[in-house]
Amino acid sequence: MTEFLVFLPSGIAIGSVYALVALGLVLTYKTSGIFNFAHGGIAAVAAYLFYELHIRQGWHWAPAFLVSLLVVGVLGGLLVERLAALLGSAPTVMVVVATVGLLVLLQSLMTAIYGSANIFMKSYLPTNTLFTLGRFGVTVEDLAVTGFSLGAGAGLYVLFERTRIGKSTTAVVDDPNLLSLQGTNPAMVRRLSWIIGSCFAAVSGMFLAPKLGVSVNTLILLVIAAYGAAALGRFENLLLTVAGAMVIGVMVAYLPSQVSKISSNPLVQNLPGNTPFLLLFLVFLVAPTRLLTERGVANARRTRPIRTFSRPVTYGGFALLGAVLLLVPTFVPNAEMTQYASTLGYFIVFASLGMLVWMSGQISLCQMSFAAVGAATAGHMLQHGISWPLALLIAGAVAIPVGALVSITAIRFGGIYVAIATFGFAIAMQQVGYYTSILFGQAQRIDVPRPEILGVHFTEIVPFYYLCLAVAVLAGAVVLAVRASRLGSLLRAMSDSPTALAAHGANTTLIKVVVFCISAFLAALGGVVISGVPQNASGALTGPFSVTVSLVMVAVLGFAGRRPIASPLLAAILFQLIRIYPPFNTEGFLKYQGVIFGLLAIFVAISPALNIRGAIARVSSASGDRRDPSAGPVRARLDSAPVKPVALRSTPVGAEPELVGSGKGAGR
Amino acid sequence: MLELRNITAGYDAGTVLRDVSITVPDGAVVALLGPNGAGKTTTLKVASGLLGTRSGQILVDGEDVTNKAPYQLARHGVCHVPEGRGIFPSLSVTDNIRLQAPARNFKASLGNATSVFPRLGERAKQISRTMSGGEQQMLALCHAYVSDPQYILLDEVSMGLAPKIVEEIFEYLHDLARQGKSMLLVEQYVAQALKLADYVYIMDRGTITFAGEPGEISEETIMNSYLGSLAS
Ligand SMILES: Nc1ncnc2c1ncn2[C@@H]1O[C@H](COP(=O)(O)OP(=O)(O)OP(=O)(O)O)[C@@H](O)[C@H]1O
Ligand SMILES: [Mg+2]
Repeated sequence: MTEFLVFLPSGIAIGSVYALVALGLVLTYKTSGIFNFAHGGIAAVAAYLFYELHIRQGWHWAPAFLVSLLVVGVLGGLLVERLAALLGSAPTVMVVVATVGLLVLLQSLMTAIYGSANIFMKSYLPTNTLFTLGRFGVTVEDLAVTGFSLGAGAGLYVLFERTRIGKSTTAVVDDPNLLSLQGTNPAMVRRLSWIIGSCFAAVSGMFLAPKLGVSVNTLILLVIAAYGAAALGRFENLLLTVAGAMVIGVMVAYLPSQVSKISSNPLVQNLPGNTPFLLLFLVFLVAPTRLLTERGVANARRTRPIRTFSRPVTYGGFALLGAVLLLVPTFVPNAEMTQYASTLGYFIVFASLGMLVWMSGQISLCQMSFAAVGAATAGHMLQHGISWPLALLIAGAVAIPVGALVSITAIRFGGIYVAIATFGFAIAMQQVGYYTSILFGQAQRIDVPRPEILGVHFTEIVPFYYLCLAVAVLAGAVVLAVRASRLGSLLRAMSDSPTALAAHGANTTLIKVVVFCISAFLAALGGVVISGVPQNASGALTGPFSVTVSLVMVAVLGFAGRRPIASPLLAAILFQLIRIYPPFNTEGFLKYQGVIFGLLAIFVAISPALNIRGAIARVSSASGDRRDPSAGPVRARLDSAPVKPVALRSTPVGAEPELVGSGKGAGR
Repeated sequence: MLELRNITAGYDAGTVLRDVSITVPDGAVVALLGPNGAGKTTTLKVASGLLGTRSGQILVDGEDVTNKAPYQLARHGVCHVPEGRGIFPSLSVTDNIRLQAPARNFKASLGNATSVFPRLGERAKQISRTMSGGEQQMLALCHAYVSDPQYILLDEVSMGLAPKIVEEIFEYLHDLARQGKSMLLVEQYVAQALKLADYVYIMDRGTITFAGEPGEISEETIMNSYLGSLAS
C-alpha cells in the first residue's frame, strides 16, 4: 500500500496530461460527431512549434508556449472545425479517411522538417522539488502540469454542466438548425469546442515534450492512452473520462514495479504500458450497446454505388491487365523487379482493405498488423520446414481469429468504434505484440525465405514475381467472389438499410465480422508476399508493418476510388511503385509523399460537400438553402433527416436521392 | 408586424414559393392553410431565416431582415417551432428549456415554463428523447413561452397527437393569442385553426390562392382547395 502511495503523485501527473488529451478528443467528438484521429498529430505539431521557438529561436518559454497555443490551438482548431463541418454529412468511412489523412499529413510534415528522431528537450518549468512523498519528490513542474490540467478539466466540466453554451455543444449535434432558431449561432458553438479541444491537445503536447522528448511518433502513439480514458467515459462523459485518465496514469506508473516482481519476461513487463489499450478493449467488450452511440451518423449521406462496366469492358480490362502484369519482367530490369513484386503484395493488402471499406462500410486502421501476423506466421512455418503454399494458407488462417477478435468487440457499436479499436490494436501490436516470440520476437526480425517449389527457384526475383502475381490473382478472385456471393448482396442490402435487413432476420453483426475476417485473411497473404521480397520481416517503426503504414494506406485508398480491383491496384502503384520513376523518384517527393497523400485523402473526403459544380451554379443565381451557414452546402440536407410519416406528400421521391433517412442511426 | 413581401424561394431541386406575400399584424393570429406539399413549411422556413430567398423581402417591424440567419432573426423576436419535434432529443427537459430561454433569464424562464406546463416540471431531469410524443411537443411549444417572442411561427404542432392532447395544445395557443403575441399558424386541424385565426391565407403549389378573414370562406371552400390540388 505504501508503495502504491509512492507512485501516486507521478501517476496523477501523467494521468492529468492524459486527461487533457482525452477531454479534447471527447469534447470535439461530442460536439461535431467527428472523431478526430489527428488529435495526437495536433499535440505533436504544438510540441514541435514550441521546440522551434523556445530552443531553436531561443525565446523565453512563456511567449513560445503562448504563440504555439495560439497558432496550433486556436488557428489549428478553427481549421479543423472547417474540415469537420465539411465532413458533416459524410459517411463514417470517409470521416475516418479524412482525419487519418490529416494525421498522415501532419506526421509526414513534421518528419520532413525535423526528422523522425526523438528530440531531447530540457524541462522549461522549474524542476526543483517542493516536497517529498515517500521516495518521490513532487516538483514544481509536476505540480504545475497537474494543477493546470485538473483546473482545465474542472473548468470544462462546469462549462458543460452549468452553462447554456455548454449545453449548446450537445444540442448542435442533435439539430444545428433548431439551435439557430433558438437564438444560438451553431457555427460559433462548433468553433468554440474545436478551439478548446485543439488547445487541450496543444498544451498536452507541450507538457509532454520535456518528459518524452519531441517526437511525432511518440505523441501519436500516446493518444491511445487518451482513447482508453475516453472509452471509460463512454466517449461522452467528461468526469468519467478524467477519472479514467487518472486510473490509467496511476496504473502506468505503478504496475511496472509490481510486474517486475512477478516476471522478468520483457513481454510481461511491457503489459502495463498497454493498460490503456486493454481498458479500451475491455470497455468494448462489456459495455451495453445502448451506452456507446455512434454520433453524427443519422445525417450521413449515402455513397452512390459505383458505375458498373459492361461485361466486355470488364473482361477486356482484366485480360489487358493480366497481359501487362505477365509481361512486366520483359520490360522491367531485374533490379526494379523487387519493387514490382512488393507492389503486388501491397495490392493484396489494399484489396483486402477496399473490400472491407467499400463493401461493408467498415474501416480498419490495422491492416498492416494483420499482414504482420501473416508474415511472421509464414516465417515460423517456413523455419519448421513447412512448404511455402501451405505456410501461406496457414498464415492467412491464423489472421482470421485475430481479425474476429479485433472486430467482434467494437462492431456492434458502429463504424467509428471499429476504427478506434483497430487503431488501438495497431498501436498495441507495434508496442508489444511485435516483440512476442509468436511474431517477430525480441530481435524484431524473422526470416521469410523465398521458396523452391517443384524445382522452380522462386528465390530468383522474376519467378518470385510470378509467384506473387499468382497470390495477387487469388486474392483478387476472393474479393470478386465475395462481391458476387450472397454475402455481397447482403452487404449491399445492409448499406441500403441496415434496419430493414435486420428486420428480415439477417444477423448484421455476423455479416460484418465475416467480412472483417476475410479481409484479415487477405491482408495476411499480402504480408507474406511483402516480406518475401526482402526475405525477412520486422516490426520496426520504419518497416512496412508499422502503424504509420496502415494509416497511410487508408489515406491512399481513400482517394484511389471505390472499385474492387482497379482502385487497390492504383493505390498500390501510387504507394509503392511510382517512387522509382521520375518525377517521383526525388528525395523531396519521398519526404513529402505523406503530405500529398494526406491532402488528397482529405480532398476526396470533403469534395462532395464542396459541391464544386453547385458553387459555380450559385455564382449566377444567389440563392439556395443556407440554413446553417457554417456547415456549407451539405447542411441543406440536414432538415430532412427526421423522416415524417406523411402519406399524401406530393414530394417526388427522388427529391433527395443522396440522403439516408435514419439508416445507420436507427438504433438510437 | 412581420411581413413577407413577394417571396420567391426554393431548394436546389427547384423553386417552391412564387411571389408569396403574407402579413402578420401585431397581435394577430394568421392561419396558413393548404394541401400537403403546398409550401407552408417552406414559407415558415423563409420567415425564420432557415431558408434563403431568391427574391423578395422579409421585414420585422419595418426593418429589412432578408437573408439574415435564424439566430439573428430569433433576436428580432421571431420564434419558429418547426415541423416534427422541435426539441434536442439528447438533452434533458431542463436543458432544452435552458437553450430556448434568453441567455440571461434562465431561472425565471424555467419557473414560467413549469407553471404553464406542469407536466414538464415533473419531468425536469428526464432526457427528452424518452418522453411521449405529446410531452415532446409541449416541450417544443415551450419555446414560444420562455423566449418571450413577438412573432410565433407554428408548424403543425398538433401533428400525430391524440385528440385530447391536441385540444390541450390549442388551449395553449389561445393563451398565447390572449397575451397579444402575433402568430403564423400552419395547421391540419382546419376548424380549430379558423377559430383561433384573425386572418387566413390559403396556399397551393407555392402561391397564395386566398387571403382574407375566416368569415369570408367556408370550410367547404378550404376542403375544395385541398381536394382540388390532390385531384390535379
Ligand atoms: N429540403 C428540401 N429539399 C428539396 N425540396 C424540398 C425540401 N423540403 C421541401 N421540399 C419541396 O418543397 C415543396 C413544399 O414542401 P413543404 O414542406 O413546404 O410543404 P408543406 O406545405 O409544408 O406540406 P405538408 O403539409 O406535407 O407539411 C414540396 O414539393 C417538397 O417536395
Ligand atoms: Mg409542412
